[in-house]
Amino acid sequence: MRQLVLSHLQHGRTYEAMYAARTLLGRQPGRRTHRFLRDALTGSAASATGFKRIKVALLSSFSIEFVHDSLVALGLIAGMRIEIYQAGFGTFRQELLDAGSAFYTWSPDVVILGVEGEDWLPDVFDKYMDVAEGGFAEVVDRFKNELSNLVQAFRVRSAAPLLIHNLALPGWRKLGIFDPQSPQGQGQIIWQLNEALSAVAREASGVHVVDYAALVNRHGANNWYDERMKLYAKVPIANAMQPHLSAEHVKYLSAFAGLTKKCLVLDLDNTLWGGVIGEDGIEGIQLGPNYPGSAFVAFQRLVLDLHRRGVILAIASKNNAADVEEVFAGHRFMVLKKEHFANLQIHWEAKSQSLVRIAQQLSIGLEHMVLVEDSPVECEEVRKALPMVHVIQLSLQPEGHVRTLQEAGLFDTLSLSVEDRRRGDLYRQRAQAEAERLTTTSVEDYYRDLDMELSIAPVCRSSLTRAAQLTQKTNQFTVTTLRFSEAEVARRMEDAKWVTATVGVKDKFGDNGIVGVVMGQQDGASLDVDTLLLSCRVIGRTVETAVLAHLCDEGRRRGLKSVTARVIPSPKNAPARDVFDRHGFAKVSEDDTGVTHWRLDLETRSVEWPAWFKRGSQ
Amino acid sequence: MRDDIEQRIKQIMADIFHLDPTRIDEQTAMDNTEAWDSANHISLVLTLEDEFAISFDVAEIEAMTSFFDVVQAVAART
Repeated sequence: MRQLVLSHLQHGRTYEAMYAARTLLGRQPGRRTHRFLRDALTGSAASATGFKRIKVALLSSFSIEFVHDSLVALGLIAGMRIEIYQAGFGTFRQELLDAGSAFYTWSPDVVILGVEGEDWLPDVFDKYMDVAEGGFAEVVDRFKNELSNLVQAFRVRSAAPLLIHNLALPGWRKLGIFDPQSPQGQGQIIWQLNEALSAVAREASGVHVVDYAALVNRHGANNWYDERMKLYAKVPIANAMQPHLSAEHVKYLSAFAGLTKKCLVLDLDNTLWGGVIGEDGIEGIQLGPNYPGSAFVAFQRLVLDLHRRGVILAIASKNNAADVEEVFAGHRFMVLKKEHFANLQIHWEAKSQSLVRIAQQLSIGLEHMVLVEDSPVECEEVRKALPMVHVIQLSLQPEGHVRTLQEAGLFDTLSLSVEDRRRGDLYRQRAQAEAERLTTTSVEDYYRDLDMELSIAPVCRSSLTRAAQLTQKTNQFTVTTLRFSEAEVARRMEDAKWVTATVGVKDKFGDNGIVGVVMGQQDGASLDVDTLLLSCRVIGRTVETAVLAHLCDEGRRRGLKSVTARVIPSPKNAPARDVFDRHGFAKVSEDDTGVTHWRLDLETRSVEWPAWFKRGSQ
Repeated sequence: MRDDIEQRIKQIMADIFHLDPTRIDEQTAMDNTEAWDSANHISLVLTLEDEFAISFDVAEIEAMTSFFDVVQAVAART
């Protein structure tokens, strides 16, 4: 297996290497495998691999360097090549405050601040009993101020996202059994500190809380900490627990790297219910209040929760469509309804075929899809045919299904917008819109019939999260595929030289929310656009024409002479590559990497707002 | 049994200290191995505990300063 990992890495077979590494770690978990994977990744030629490179700085109050191997190894499995900057333990304040520190010079992509409560706030931990009655309000205030100052100092010096661990509650409370009753109990005070920390993170941009308290709680403080290594070597986190910390960090890094999965494709028999519908019939399948049916109900609830967090659901099942229809229509314990699924592939063709069709019909990249399936044969078929699809093979014990999907941690996002919560519905509406397109005669009639209202508004605090998120997630209709953090977009938003706007689209099927972002900078007498993107659910509706018309208006309003832009080709952005050509821009140059530069002379040319769009407000 | 333990320890030490496993012998010690510093010593201890599913006392950790000592300590716990 080790040889297989090395061979895939050497030949640049990224997805195969990721899967081989996942299998290896499943068979031989532990530090040796982590180290092997880290050495294998750093030993392979950087240019030959398709891994996303991400530079992570770790600041801590303890010796956190022993997690490096697991962080890089789990990063590899998620498709990343993580490089680490390690600050000396306990130096996090100096590193953050000193603009000249090596840490800033290294220019990290992501910074993780992992401080143990007892190191940062001895008054609430070891010295809790020394603090006078009523003295904790001041401790909480002081902590909030210090944290706020550190965050501000950091923001001035870096636009990188900052992850801050919150504080874990100790396994034993200082006031014993009275602790939860006392308003000044240690547990209460720590929750106040965590609330203060969350408030600081919410107020800043690009600052995210790592729920370290939940992580320790999940595993139990007695298991999480190793008192011996804490006291002897400043390594408080137990050997076996360290990979869990890395796994948590990798979820955030995956989100920053645009690797978060978007679509969950589910098998039916022995996945959403126990048994085989074609053989056992609607009365015979296991789904309901008693085991094992209860385990499948729990699994369906988790899937529904993911749907409500914006994950697109689909079905790929080898079955007779009529049998499945009967379950959806008539089984009283089905938590998932037919309308929760954006696409159903229920037939007897290969699973890989079903996945390809789902990807095409929903315009989602296969590398953003996850298949959950119980049959080892089907899993293998999909892995061979479509290595970029993340395949989760369920075990024979249905009570483990919930945990298997949760631990994979593939769908976590950094924020949850209104658009996320409604995405599942929007995709279904889109499918409906597509169906309608086939029945309308001319394209223009189709646009008019959609009854679209378009709103283009400057990026503001309330749209900032969504704007940054779109730059991180959009792969198809994007001219440059440049990714921006919230803090970077915020900087542009506040800079008068920049034009930043979000695009909202409503139509007769509903409100699509914010589906586009455009950003350009005033550069001499021209407006230079570096970001123009649209979510795939509005591609093919001439929204880009309206956005370019808006840019022309904005350029003229500022007295500029031209709009300039460039196109950076990526393997996926074919839909956007000809956008300037189609709108009368002249090609200025093309370099040998295929990057093209475009210019529209505002004195002689323009882009007209399409008549079928009403102008609205967001 | 003892041979197997020795081989696995050699491999672990080779990985951590970047040594050729065939050149590790009873003479290999903290004193004459440049990469065997205090941080890598903790790495070694954590990896051994993981690999052999054992746990050392601090006194044992401090006493294992050579390949020979490491084998003794692991053998005593397995």
